[in-house]
Amino acid sequence: MKECRIGVYICMCGTNIAKMVDVESVAKFISAVPNVTLVKTYKYMCSNPGQEMIVQDIKQNQLNRIVVAACSPSMHERTFRGALRKAGLNQYLFEMANIREQCSWVHDDPEEATKKAMALTYAAVKRVELHEPLESIFVDMCPNVLVIGGGIAGMTTALELADSGYQVYLVEKDSRLGGNLARVDLTAPYLYSARDLLTERITRVLNNKQIQLHLQSKVTSLSGFVGNFKANIQKQNGQGSTGSKPFEVRIGNIAVCTGYKEFDASRITHYGYGKLPNVITSFELEKMIRSGRIETKEGKVPQYVAIIHCVGSRNLEFHTYCSRVCCMTALKYVHEIKSANPACYVSDIYIDMHAFGKGHEDFYKRSSEVKTLFLMYEKGDRPVIHRAGPKDDCEMLIEVNEKLSGELIEIPADLVVLMVGMEAREDSAEVAHLVNISQDKDGWFIESHPKLEPVATTTDGIFIAGTCVAPKDIPDSVAQARAVAARILAKISRGKIEVDAVYSEVDENVCSGCRFCNKLCPFSAIEYEEEKGHSHIISALCKACGVCVAACPSAAIKGRQFTDSQVIAQIDALISKVEYV
Amino acid sequence: MNEQKPKLKLAVYWGAACGGCCVSVLDVHEKLFDVVAAADLVFWPVALDTKYQDVEEMHDGFIDLTLFNGAVRNSENEHIAKLLRKKSKILVAYGSCSHLGGIPGMANFFTKEEIFRRVYEESESTINPEKIKPQPEYKVTEGTLEIPVFYNDVRPLDKVVDVDYYLPGCPPQTERLVEVFMAIVTGAQLPPKGSVVGAGSKAQCEECTRTKTDNKLIKKFKRPWEIYDDGVTCFMEQGVICMGPATRSGCGHRCIKGNAPCRGCYGPTADVTDTGAKIMSAIASIIDSKEPAEIEAIIEDIVDPAGTFYRFSLPSAMIRRRL
Repeated sequence: MKECRIGVYICMCGTNIAKMVDVESVAKFISAVPNVTLVKTYKYMCSNPGQEMIVQDIKQNQLNRIVVAACSPSMHERTFRGALRKAGLNQYLFEMANIREQCSWVHDDPEEATKKAMALTYAAVKRVELHEPLESIFVDMCPNVLVIGGGIAGMTTALELADSGYQVYLVEKDSRLGGNLARVDLTAPYLYSARDLLTERITRVLNNKQIQLHLQSKVTSLSGFVGNFKANIQKQNGQGSTGSKPFEVRIGNIAVCTGYKEFDASRITHYGYGKLPNVITSFELEKMIRSGRIETKEGKVPQYVAIIHCVGSRNLEFHTYCSRVCCMTALKYVHEIKSANPACYVSDIYIDMHAFGKGHEDFYKRSSEVKTLFLMYEKGDRPVIHRAGPKDDCEMLIEVNEKLSGELIEIPADLVVLMVGMEAREDSAEVAHLVNISQDKDGWFIESHPKLEPVATTTDGIFIAGTCVAPKDIPDSVAQARAVAARILAKISRGKIEVDAVYSEVDENVCSGCRFCNKLCPFSAIEYEEEKGHSHIISALCKACGVCVAACPSAAIKGRQFTDSQVIAQIDALISKVEYV
Repeated sequence: MNEQKPKLKLAVYWGAACGGCCVSVLDVHEKLFDVVAAADLVFWPVALDTKYQDVEEMHDGFIDLTLFNGAVRNSENEHIAKLLRKKSKILVAYGSCSHLGGIPGMANFFTKEEIFRRVYEESESTINPEKIKPQPEYKVTEGTLEIPVFYNDVRPLDKVVDVDYYLPGCPPQTERLVEVFMAIVTGAQLPPKGSVVGAGSKAQCEECTRTKTDNKLIKKFKRPWEIYDDGVTCFMEQGVICMGPATRSGCGHRCIKGNAPCRGCYGPTADVTDTGAKIMSAIASIIDSKEPAEIEAIIEDIVDPAGTFYRFSLPSAMIRRRL
């Protein structure tokens, strides 16, 4: 092996590291370690001057291995790999020692923290000595896209991609396009017609030659990896039974826009939904509004309408989260009810009025101006609905412990509207399994990063948009749908995709075909080659989690950049009896 | 008369061993004639009456090939190992004990004191009220008697001397020995020093004819008597721990052919760092549960995990003994 010339860079991270770790002592200690050619400390290694320093040092001192002792590799590994690349050094001849998150931030004894930083940096040096240059692989990107779900998000994604000239397969399990939005009359806060929004989209989808629409269909299987997926689309006959032959498509990326379902109000017995005939859900009211007549079960025009918020949302019993759209939808109902019957008394019983979006506060203000009675109740202290007595001029009476006045208020109602929240669809687990993405505790699909990667997932080539990710309103769903399209277009435009060189591989000269690993891969990257009698890892699918490496009984599977010798060298260094002074 | 090719000088020695390895050498049967036609046996305590002193008098490198079987357990084993290293051109660690520590190596789960206490005081067949234990030296009127010093650890051969090749097995398959021997005799290109010879590079499953599917997940571990073995399905898929997936081929999967799971005597494949740790990590990966309590219960069914997973390899493992 060529002589190791290791450059070690110790970051102060402003005072984040320096306040607890004596970086100069770490530098002094490390400079005495064999093969360490150069040691430097710097205020912010990740800054441009910091990186430039590494680039120059590599060139001037013929450094062939770099260690940066700084923050977590998930923060800046990419940054420093970039510096190595810039200097013409293979980017994998690099190791980070985490002396911030795992050291300075979590300790309060500077002396011990400094020793620990020395040990971590020393271990990184011993490890990097064994690093080998690795090359990334490139795979072709199939430009076709599969969009699952024909609601507003799915159609928007499909149109965006098809309008850019790419083939889209749009799969909708229902017999019509539009999703949940097709069940809605007007939209908040501008009271635009949902139908108008949808008709334009649906017409464009139906007329677009680049979109192949599969209604009443399901994606029944998916194989392959980013750029090279194969999916089977199957027409569903009646009760989910499979009739016709599946239709196979080749795609490079997948947009999952499977939407939500509304909370089932009968799960809350408290409001008497299903027992009291005139307690209805928001979607049932939508249906009435769309049919043009708001009336009670008895066919009377209600004189008093009460709207109750947060049904199934924001409580420990059902869903702890806020469903985000119900507050504005409730205000929309105020307007719709009042415009249908200006004499109607509407009370709006809420916990907090979440009017966070653009135009929402104004909408709230306008709603109060139409003489709506707003009543605030305490979370967990739900209003109680009684049948009214024969002398009352209403169907029901609602008792509310009104929070702002502190009084128990009784209000009349002929019709009670329960604002049911959003929840993950019952088939969301099936979809998640199909496309290999994760769900959170509530069943929503998990994004790659909640802030910086809101539409990507941990599986390359699988994107998520709309209310299958979390409750959201139409503008947010559309924005996500367009973001997905943009992400996919960016991938397509590159033609090929680079796959990180850190992946696991099977040494075919060692693999005996025991098949221990076959079912363990969370990314479905392992296939068994029957004829050759050994297993194979599709490197483009591998995320280097190491599950198969641990499971391989004969060490035929090796994790690149995580070989036994590299990891053991690191552990050996950590537990060796070195004087940290 | 043709000038005869000089015969090879061959030595076989046993350290801490059961004798099975020496018998495996005898098992060459009529091929013995080929062996003695090509080689002179210069030292083989189980069969010949050569003395240690005779070996000491040989010049360095006198012996062409030494098959050293057995582990290094006491000072005598160590002395002869060092002596034979000096006298031999090629030193082969022959059999599991010499290769990895073998069955005697499981004694490393106990200290010398514990072993002596058990053997010389506590064992059911022992009556030793004076608690007499082996003494390396004992003075009698005629002089001083000596026996080898019993070490605290059992070591494989390569922890004591430099080893050229490893021929694994408990005992090694005799056919493999003959192949290796004939390769040396015929002057064939020998593999690089440190290689395992007379064995395959893949695990047993490669040769094993039982049906293997991806259905490896285990809900319950069973011992062989707990299953109705159909003779066809992979042992692991029947819940029986088989060391085959972690063990080099080369024996002709003798145990599996006899409907018994592999015990692992051929040792791990080349890149395994720690045999027991590797198979444990593999088996842990296929336990079919995500509930800690259930996993705990499933693992409880593994009888003698240390003896199962480190049966032949404890002295060469990263772990040394129990805590």
